[in-house]
Amino acid sequence: MVIGTSSKRRERLSPLPHKRKVAGKKGIGRFAVDKLGDKLVLKTQKKNSSDILCLETDWSYYSKLEDSQLKLNFEDEKPFFTDVENKYWYDNGDKEVQGTTLEISQVNEIWTENDINRAFKELSKLVPPNPSKTNAYPFNITIKSPYKDFDNVKVKTQLIDFATKKVELTFDKKKGVQEILQYKKGSLNKIKVPERPCGFLKLTLYYFDQPAKSKYKKHFNSEIDGIKIYRDGIITTPFAEYVADRNKQKDILGIDKRRWSGFFERLSTRDLLGYVEITDENNPDIVESTNRQGFVENEAWEELRRFIIEQIVQLESFFKNAKNVERTKTKSGLGAANQDLKILKREIASVKKEASPKVQEKLRSIEANLGKIQGSVTKSINDYSKLEKESKQQENLFMSLVSLQTYAAMFSHMTKHTLGHILTGAEYFYNNYPNPNLEDRFISISKSIYKKMLKLRKGVDFMLKYAKSDTELEEINLKELIVNLFDNIYVDRLNEEGIRTIVEIKDNLILNYNRKAIEDIFDNLISNSIKALKNNNEKIIKCSSLTSIDEVTILFSDNGIGIKEKDKHRIFDIFYTDTAEEGGAGMGLYMVKTRVEAMQGNIEVIDNEFNPTGATFKITLPFKK
Amino acid sequence: MEVTFVIIDDNKEIEEHPLLFTLEDKFKNVKFYSNPQEGLDYIKNNLDINLIVLLDIEFSKDDKLDGHDLLKEIHNSSSLIPVILWSGINQTNEEFSDFINNRAFGFLSKDCSLEEAMLIVDKAFNNLKNSLDNTIEDWIISNESDKDKPIYFTSSGESYTLNEILKEIRLQTPIGKEFSSKLNSLTIDLLLRKKENL
Repeated sequence: MVIGTSSKRRERLSPLPHKRKVAGKKGIGRFAVDKLGDKLVLKTQKKNSSDILCLETDWSYYSKLEDSQLKLNFEDEKPFFTDVENKYWYDNGDKEVQGTTLEISQVNEIWTENDINRAFKELSKLVPPNPSKTNAYPFNITIKSPYKDFDNVKVKTQLIDFATKKVELTFDKKKGVQEILQYKKGSLNKIKVPERPCGFLKLTLYYFDQPAKSKYKKHFNSEIDGIKIYRDGIITTPFAEYVADRNKQKDILGIDKRRWSGFFERLSTRDLLGYVEITDENNPDIVESTNRQGFVENEAWEELRRFIIEQIVQLESFFKNAKNVERTKTKSGLGAANQDLKILKREIASVKKEASPKVQEKLRSIEANLGKIQGSVTKSINDYSKLEKESKQQENLFMSLVSLQTYAAMFSHMTKHTLGHILTGAEYFYNNYPNPNLEDRFISISKSIYKKMLKLRKGVDFMLKYAKSDTELEEINLKELIVNLFDNIYVDRLNEEGIRTIVEIKDNLILNYNRKAIEDIFDNLISNSIKALKNNNEKIIKCSSLTSIDEVTILFSDNGIGIKEKDKHRIFDIFYTDTAEEGGAGMGLYMVKTRVEAMQGNIEVIDNEFNPTGATFKITLPFKK
Repeated sequence: MEVTFVIIDDNKEIEEHPLLFTLEDKFKNVKFYSNPQEGLDYIKNNLDINLIVLLDIEFSKDDKLDGHDLLKEIHNSSSLIPVILWSGINQTNEEFSDFINNRAFGFLSKDCSLEEAMLIVDKAFNNLKNSLDNTIEDWIISNESDKDKPIYFTSSGESYTLNEILKEIRLQTPIGKEFSSKLNSLTIDLLLRKKENL
């Protein structure tokens, strides 16, 4: 064993006849062994030979050498690590046996039963939990320890069972397509898309609901701990790093870090188990960082992370919908029960007249009981409606919060600048007034204070609308609303970026909707367009409308970067974002869509008005009868 | 000591900011650039005078350089110029590490008062005043005759006068940097061997 050489990395497979996968990196073995104990005896024996070659390495000697070297002057001659002579000898062995043993002694820490248990669990994750396939490089791990439960145990691959939902995604290299998940109208489908920048990969995802989770935990005595990445059949994500506090566990895929996690039925690493299978051949750009703490930050890794999150988002949408369906079912079930009870009561009433006095008495008591049941069913229906209304209100509140957050960021930035200007202006007056030499400055400062105050007032007015009720309907002049957004609220941003706006809406177009909802929609579309236009020379945002007898169609366009064909199917998905760098949370278009749908309207992306680049959103809203 | 303030901010309104007026009242020379590249060019072409820079961090997306890049460029041109970051955004630790690496002199929030701002500005001014190059300049002003005396000889046999050395230091040439570092070592050596007292 040579310390710190790179020879292992030249080939990914060991030489014939073994052709084993070389998983290690430069020098890793030495460090890992060193961490376990100070002394190592390496024994190796070839088949048909009775000689066992033994090599003893005493790491404590190397550390002593290192210490003494540090104390020497820079110019002094020092012994090199390669000067250390390790002891070696031959032992006699059985001719039939072959292989290599590492015996580590003078261990640094005592292995408790708990430590062994952890080692057992971590080692079981070394290969993917995929029993259908035989490992290309088979190996076994056996633990022998003084503890009763681990006196002679073979480490088995961690299996996965009891999942509420299992999803397997694969690819077809010949056709150049990758499977991804798409949630559409109540069902979860696999669709094929062109190869993504992270390369072809397989993803197996298991979702566990509460009962499934407890079953899994009880049966396997193991935690549900998210998604792992395997390259050519060996784990690559950080592993064997036990963290007692699950909140501090590394989340290198960023599943739990997503904004607003906890709201909107988001799944977390505690609801999901899964594994991604990548290979050297298909994913050469995904590179493990040498400290084994994750991956090198590059486009391929970024895309892999995005890929996984996107699939989780689709699962989330599916389960959210399933919940809604369940709710409707319960509600209509209750309604039907109520109806059945009514019929039953009527039927009893009709037979009661002809029944004998004894039966009549019995029927009366049944009638009374039925009345009670009917009462509680009716109450349940009422409670249910109330609950539904409440959760709808809650969701609206979340939506408001999210758009408020976006606005708050813009507002506080503006306020900071404006306040600074006003404050220092007043201070300048206070410090220098009167001074005839500075007359010009006093005039310019007072003018600017006045202007800045007006700007602040506008911002506050806009902020106030968030304090208003969310359900009030009012008559809205669409043109005025949009012109106000362009010319007052967004005027600074638009000027700063040099964006020209065009509004082609009839003066007398009146909509009867909630003002904030409409403002939210255009708020989001405008900020999206600003981001999309950032690299344009000529920048245009255009809003126009068409009316028919029963609906209004609004076209909102910009000539910016546009929406890629491959992204069109997912831009309205919650938390899908292309602009994370500019602070995009992937909420905007989702909110636009839910707002529009709440008004019984529809929104879609159509061919853009501005060729060759740009995006056009078509919103249709019904006129209320 | 004469000093020129260079303010780089893409927001043109800043030109009329009371802080700029205050700086002009107190220090006379104030240059405002709303184009970051022009500001950087001015700095690079005027390394031989005393400069203090006030720098915005977030520029409009059209500008190729943002505050971070500018700071790096200025620091690479000369480490003697105090650069004060003047920004409306709240800095995260990550961004601050960049400032530490590129030696920003200080940070001013866009909503701070003139009094708070002038504390940092005065500190930068004093820092500049006590720097090696300005000490040499003060010396030359009060001892005009020493100006052209050769005081530094390189191993390749070239000699530099006090005035020439001043220029080399301000332009942060290898000779200038070498001289500064050797002068410091010499002073420490003299003090340690009790050849000199301060």
